[in-house]
Amino acid sequence: MNPHPDLTSEVIRGIGWLYLLLFAMNAFWTALAFKKKASLSSVAAWAIYTAILGMVGIAHVTGGAQPEHFLIRMPEWFKSIIDAGAKPEIYFTLSLLLFCAVIWLRETLVKPTVAWVVLNGMILFMALSMTDYDFRQIVGKPDNVPIVAMLFIVAFFTWLYFKRAVDNDQRIAAGRPLFEQEDNDKVLVWPDLVYTEMICMVILTAVLVLWGTVLQAPLEEPASASRTPNPSKAPWYFLGLQEMLVYYDPWMAGVVLPSVILVGLMALPYIDFNKKGNGYYTFNERKFSILTFMFGFLPLWIGLIILGTFLRGPNWNFFGIYEFWDVHKLEVLNNVNLSEMVWVNQLQQPLPVAPADAGIWTKIGYILLRESVGLVAVVLYLGVLPMVMAMTVFRKFFMRMGFLRYMVFANLVLFMACLPIKMVLRWSLNLKYIVAIPEWFFNI
Amino acid sequence: MSIGGRFVSDESKGGAPKKLSTKDILAMARAQASGGAPAPAAEQPAPAATPATPAAAPKPAAGKKPTSTAEILAAARAQAAGGAAPAAAAPATPAAAPAAKPKPAAGGAPKSTAEILAAARAAAGAKAAGGAAAPAAPAATAKAPAAETASAPTGDAPKVSLEAMLAAVRPATAAATAAPAATGAAPAAAPAKPAVAPPMPAKPVPAAKAAAPAPDAGRRSLVMALLGTPIAMVGGLFSSAFSAAWTFLAATTGIATLATARFMLPNVLTEPPRKFKIGPPSDYDLGTVSTKWVAQYGIWIVHTDQYKGKNLIYALASVCTHLGCTPSWLEGERKYKCPCHGSGFYVTGINFEGPAPRPLERVGITLSADGMLEVDKSLKFQEEMGQWADPASFYEVVG
Repeated sequence: MNPHPDLTSEVIRGIGWLYLLLFAMNAFWTALAFKKKASLSSVAAWAIYTAILGMVGIAHVTGGAQPEHFLIRMPEWFKSIIDAGAKPEIYFTLSLLLFCAVIWLRETLVKPTVAWVVLNGMILFMALSMTDYDFRQIVGKPDNVPIVAMLFIVAFFTWLYFKRAVDNDQRIAAGRPLFEQEDNDKVLVWPDLVYTEMICMVILTAVLVLWGTVLQAPLEEPASASRTPNPSKAPWYFLGLQEMLVYYDPWMAGVVLPSVILVGLMALPYIDFNKKGNGYYTFNERKFSILTFMFGFLPLWIGLIILGTFLRGPNWNFFGIYEFWDVHKLEVLNNVNLSEMVWVNQLQQPLPVAPADAGIWTKIGYILLRESVGLVAVVLYLGVLPMVMAMTVFRKFFMRMGFLRYMVFANLVLFMACLPIKMVLRWSLNLKYIVAIPEWFFNI
Repeated sequence: MSIGGRFVSDESKGGAPKKLSTKDILAMARAQASGGAPAPAAEQPAPAATPATPAAAPKPAAGKKPTSTAEILAAARAQAAGGAAPAAAAPATPAAAPAAKPKPAAGGAPKSTAEILAAARAAAGAKAAGGAAAPAAPAATAKAPAAETASAPTGDAPKVSLEAMLAAVRPATAAATAAPAATGAAPAAAPAKPAVAPPMPAKPVPAAKAAAPAPDAGRRSLVMALLGTPIAMVGGLFSSAFSAAWTFLAATTGIATLATARFMLPNVLTEPPRKFKIGPPSDYDLGTVSTKWVAQYGIWIVHTDQYKGKNLIYALASVCTHLGCTPSWLEGERKYKCPCHGSGFYVTGINFEGPAPRPLERVGITLSADGMLEVDKSLKFQEEMGQWADPASFYEVVG
């Protein structure tokens, strides 16, 4: 008997409840559509879809057949395609494409029906994927449950933002007053706000109590200095940082970049010169700021948390969501420093090494000579590139901001860009470090 | 001045219910000014503080909380306007306070300030332009009439100040209207200031200091200095709530630091020894990585000929050079692989994949006299520093 069966009767019943939940949601949706006098054909379509869901759900919950013969499961060909594409570069590219698509199609996506269809798709995908043993292992881990919830929550709040922003943008384009001005019925803190807060508090407490009761705490074996769990994962909210550490030295990914993130967020009010969008949702009036922030938040932070949670397995190798976590999975990750590329590969000579009896200054000179290409690249990137950008893409920004403010802004942008740049360099050129001076613990 | 003025006006505004508000005082003052006659003045303050009683009432209260400034002001004003000598007894009590304690700054500041201000204002009200600039520096330097009282300190204060007050009151009964016209202390002082010039007595000497030079014997002063200085210093540490708080904070921090330092020197050390024997070289076959010491000591024993072609046994610390996790030795892949960020190292310890910036570190290894290999974890050898050439970092198998 297979110790890791894809399906057991228990799992099927559990998935059945998920389908029934979806059924209830869609019954409500159909009723709403009917009430709002949507076209008969669309109401009928929703009704049929809901009926199918209901039947599927009932079949799951009441069925007594052998689980091995159960047919409603994720098809194998789909799983193998997903697993075959399980590479960080593909994942990151897809997340960028999704990001662009959301921006591009925002006016379509904010329509309630479209959003509802997307939500249905997400839940159906979850339900079908749950029929896979390895997927259940990853998603069902008590550690990872909040991240599954986070997927939905982030999607919802992004959708909500775009809905309000698109609405306001259309109002601005049509010359109508903003939503916030037109619908500015003020309510009282007491009782309106305080009651809302109290209800939220009660619900949240109930959810937490339920959660704490139902899901066991994911405790592991006693800690030991000489044993590291495999894989060893940071708390979920730090998985973005952990992913950053794959590409950078600890002091860079653990100290410099997080500090830059924090300081940069604090500096935003002083950098931003666009007075629009103050007190109301908008996208078109603040395109650059919003795109920059969203890029940093969605693909670079949330995206990397999802990557770290679901796609990183033993030995920090990359695994597909339906793939078995094989400790011995072999991934070729050989990588080399820029200095080795230049000296060994291009100039066909060994790395410059100071003679054994050289003085301290000679040694420093040799190290700097060895890393000269990388050092020049870094100086160009942080020192010269801002000037170039000021003369080209950021000309208007430079005019508005003045030198100092512009340099702060440009360096923050460049620091944000350095993570994806390093990722791409690692994937394409197997580049380990641009500047590698392990003697001084200085690697970029 | 301005601070004192604000303080007083605040107090008169929002004190106990029976106090006069600034408004009331203003109204009073206006009534006085317009009427000019003593009669209304006597009537006006009556409801609030009763000008007759203050003579008796505030006096016993001198030791207690300050009688409200408003009351005193009212009383003073009433008496100044009326020019009634006995009424001067009322302001006398507050005036006594500064006289009795010449260093009010150290003690109950608010109380004395209020009182002194009140007294000074009363005096100013009485003397008006007549050099009554006392409020200008209420606490630290007592001027004009206040100085007179200060010059005769410690003794029969109330009496002296009473005389002084009387003296102060007498010359300028008519001018009294000038002071009440202003509610706060500041305006009252402002017109008074120009006339202040001449009598500027030195700061009232603190009682302790004044006492020291007085006695004749030099020896006694030496003893006093010897005993007094440390006492004064210790006393200074607790002289106010603020300095006491800092003193306690410093003491607590100091004790905590000492405790931390002590913590660094434990009575019992449960760590494994830094130096230990791992058996003879023959225990470790060529081309193997022994993981049997990882759990206990955190080292791999490597016997390989892949590093510069020499047949070596050496000990690698099982600490990833990226962020310090413990990599695992994967026999099938012939590499050390870190579970945290995917760094990989060859069997020799050289890094080749993932983010680890440098090779694993070797620890010291020697062949001891009894033919056992001895590992010394207190020694570290880093390849990138060229330390792997050190003979203490490996044991070369011969033959």
